[in-house]
Amino acid sequence: MSTDKLKVMVLDDEPIVCKRVQPALEKLGYEVESYTDSHAAIHRIQETEYDIIVTDLKMKGIDGMQFLQEAKKRSPRTEVIVITGFATLETAKESFHKGVFDFIAKPFKLSEIQDVVNKAAAKIRGSGT
Amino acid sequence: MVSPWSGMSNVIRPLRELWGRLFQPRPKPALASFTEIFDHFQELLRDHQQVMELIADLGEKSGGEYIFDRKYLADLTERLKTLLLRMVNGLNLITPRRYVDLYSTLDRIFLPLDAELRGRLSLSAEMPYVVPLKELPLDRPELTGGKANTLGRVIQSLHLPVPDGFVITTRAYRRFLEQNQLEDRMHALLESWASGEMDERQTARQLQYGILGGVVPHEVAAAVKRRVEKSESYWAVRSSAYGEDAEVSFAGIHESLLHVPPADILPAYRKVLASLFSAGALLYRNTMGMLGEDAAMAVLCQETVSSVAAGVVHTLDVADPQANSLVIYASLGWGRTVVEGTGSVDRYVIDRAPPHKIRTQEISLKRTMLGPKPGGGEEEISVPRAEQDKPALSGEVMQTLVQWALVLERYFKRPQEVEWALDGDGRCWVLQSRGLMFPKAQGWAREDVVEIGGRYSALLQDCGLVAHAGVGSGPVYHVDSDAKMNSMPEGAVLVIKYTAPWLARIVPRASAIIAERGSAAGHLATIAREFRVPTLVGVEGATRVLRDGMHVTVDTKQRVIYEGQVHELLQYELVRTLAFEETPEFRVLRRLLKRIAPLHLIDPQSPGFSPEGCTSVHDVIRFIHEKAIEELMNLPSLVRRFRGVQVWTLVSDLPLGLKILDLGGGIDPRARERKAMPGDLLSAPLLALWEGLAAPGVWSTDPVPVDLRGMISSLTKTRAEPSAGAPSPGANLAVISDSYMNLHLHLGYHFNLIDARLEPDASRNHIYFRFVGGVTDMTRRSRRAQLLASILSRCDFKVDTRGDLVVARILHLPREDMHNQLRLLGRLIGFTRQLDIQLRSDEDIPHFVESFLREHLPLGAMSLR
Repeated sequence: MSTDKLKVMVLDDEPIVCKRVQPALEKLGYEVESYTDSHAAIHRIQETEYDIIVTDLKMKGIDGMQFLQEAKKRSPRTEVIVITGFATLETAKESFHKGVFDFIAKPFKLSEIQDVVNKAAAKIRGSGT
Repeated sequence: MVSPWSGMSNVIRPLRELWGRLFQPRPKPALASFTEIFDHFQELLRDHQQVMELIADLGEKSGGEYIFDRKYLADLTERLKTLLLRMVNGLNLITPRRYVDLYSTLDRIFLPLDAELRGRLSLSAEMPYVVPLKELPLDRPELTGGKANTLGRVIQSLHLPVPDGFVITTRAYRRFLEQNQLEDRMHALLESWASGEMDERQTARQLQYGILGGVVPHEVAAAVKRRVEKSESYWAVRSSAYGEDAEVSFAGIHESLLHVPPADILPAYRKVLASLFSAGALLYRNTMGMLGEDAAMAVLCQETVSSVAAGVVHTLDVADPQANSLVIYASLGWGRTVVEGTGSVDRYVIDRAPPHKIRTQEISLKRTMLGPKPGGGEEEISVPRAEQDKPALSGEVMQTLVQWALVLERYFKRPQEVEWALDGDGRCWVLQSRGLMFPKAQGWAREDVVEIGGRYSALLQDCGLVAHAGVGSGPVYHVDSDAKMNSMPEGAVLVIKYTAPWLARIVPRASAIIAERGSAAGHLATIAREFRVPTLVGVEGATRVLRDGMHVTVDTKQRVIYEGQVHELLQYELVRTLAFEETPEFRVLRRLLKRIAPLHLIDPQSPGFSPEGCTSVHDVIRFIHEKAIEELMNLPSLVRRFRGVQVWTLVSDLPLGLKILDLGGGIDPRARERKAMPGDLLSAPLLALWEGLAAPGVWSTDPVPVDLRGMISSLTKTRAEPSAGAPSPGANLAVISDSYMNLHLHLGYHFNLIDARLEPDASRNHIYFRFVGGVTDMTRRSRRAQLLASILSRCDFKVDTRGDLVVARILHLPREDMHNQLRLLGRLIGFTRQLDIQLRSDEDIPHFVESFLREHLPLGAMSLR
């Protein structure tokens, strides 16, 4: 069972987001690493391939957009879920029409992020890797 | 949202000036036209509604189901500010400029909100130097330190016995540094340490030297003296640093002095302060990435318990975390030996599950113990030979300790290490409780928790709304009567039909709450959050599926209820997940809420009902709403102000003489000549209320039997004599739209106000009901208020009464439920129309309550009490 665990990275410069999302996803059986420092995360994706990446859009240092591009360049099959502020949700959807699996607006419910990640996982599993 | 003010963010003062510039230069600006007045009024109602929604939104976030960050809090505060400013503008246009004082009110309310959002350690000058533990402000851990904050919660929320005492706050510490001019010196010393010029020992010695030689400021010393001068006991003086016992543990790093005589408290205080800068503490903070200068020390002073035995309880066996057992360590005399790991200690391993059987016990040979030294301090005393190999604790004491420890763990959401003492009279005391530190074995429990679904059957899944997020387990306990309420066992899962507010007092005893109906914004949900009890509301069929006595595990995060005790899940939550209640974001949220959500302005006739009297955002919008409606309500004057305003008259059998102002969609366009029949009403709230009022038998025209005293009383009162809260008499007026109603009804001598909204989106719905006045004497009027209050709270309203004023609210129920509640209000208005004459004594109240509920509530809808 544990061999086909999907690897998830959570990146948000607000520690509370990482601290709460990580256990919520672990509870569903994902292997989760979380980062509050986007540079550390960039470094990490050079050496590891993630199935799913959940990233905030606005961060100090590298922003979510750059991070997304970098992640996709490293591993095109990685599904990326973007967290945005409620106000910027629509703009974000427009500017990211390609390459993003889904968007989620802050503040969000634990169950919302769980659902979106599950959907991404279903897509990954369905595409028969 | 578009607002003329939205570009101006932080401070309101410039806006007020702008307002001044815009409107002052015109000597007498033309009054707004009638349509404008109603545009403003509608906008004001919308904004009012939006503010209510934002408040509810914020309240909802305090339940833990949502993930939010500081930015969310800052944005929301900003939006509130914009809306309130627009409402104040609107009111000043409607009333012509009678409430410009509200601009300073906004300053007064929003500036501290901004400060809360900015500051981590914001100690303002109003904060006290010394606070008693019983009155500790629980939302200010930065003032009293972590350890004291925890004890404050144990006393105020959990009501467990804690030795009495007080806290010398971090503000006193700052004052101490200031008076002794230590801040700069400290900064310089810490710099030299950081640059490697001095090692931590030298740095510590110099820092401590400064503190030990300092003078305690006289205002601090005087405040301490007031607390101890009447005491004859000795004192325990302990550190309570900010951050200590919270996310990082400083256990054992700071000083604790026991058995200090009252006269020595100030020197002890200095010693404890100095321990903040011991070499060990400096290194520890450095490792934890906490700068030395941020550190602030509060000092906890508590009366010493002369204990015959003392020790700690671990709610999890550190040696075997999976074993579902807890461990009590006990020694004779004072407990320091246990905490410090010295001396002879008994160890009892006990089942976490009731009846808490002892699994193993290791009784040590206790030759000596620590005890009080005459004149202060402690010393080693030898234990009489016959006592040396006996257990330090009786079974009964162990049971008490186990139960308390589990209560503490349930509240703090973490395995706990509880220090306790047993005094000579056989009473147990909690000395402190903190998160238990233990090595986190990588990945353990994680696999288990994922596969729960395969091992346990889910009784209910994906149902209900989360009022407070968390996991709890225990036997199901249905409460449908007072008697059952009183005998609810500690740690039961409370299962109820309605979230009636009177259930509040048993909330702290519940390990989880499941309600079939009710709202996540209701009173009981608020109480559940206060006590951190995982709660789901709106769980259809809960009382049927969850049978009395069956053991269940409730996970409100996943909205699942499992059969049995899901040990893996409970442990996972305790050990692996973050207790969101302890995060800084939630603390800030709770503090913001305190300045935003409470409603203090209730009675519009009281002198405090003024811009100056507003102390929360809710107060301000309540005030604005009331004053705007008051303006529109004074129909003759309004019509005089606006000649040609179109007012409808409701034509019906009920002698109401109701005038209606339709803001849009409230009356069938086919109605003619400004006369509407009940059948022409399209306003959902007015229709619902009308259904109740016009129901057969409600508007009784039978003469009311009047007893002599009531009769005389009503004859001698004249209508012109207003009761405490009654507004000046005016016509019966409803301002309506398709989904909104603001109704003012003068019936005889009673005055009813109902403000309601009914929309498909439940989160927009509300009913406010206010009832005042009456013809009889105050006692009878109050009796009627009590009657109304008990009926309304039985029907899930949140009710406040004062004298003969009743204010009831209900929020965010689905449209159908709101419809039923309004219909009920209609019936209630009819029922109470003449009632105070019939209420001869307090004993009559329950009788009338029952007869109303029997007659007017659908069968089985309300079976509580």
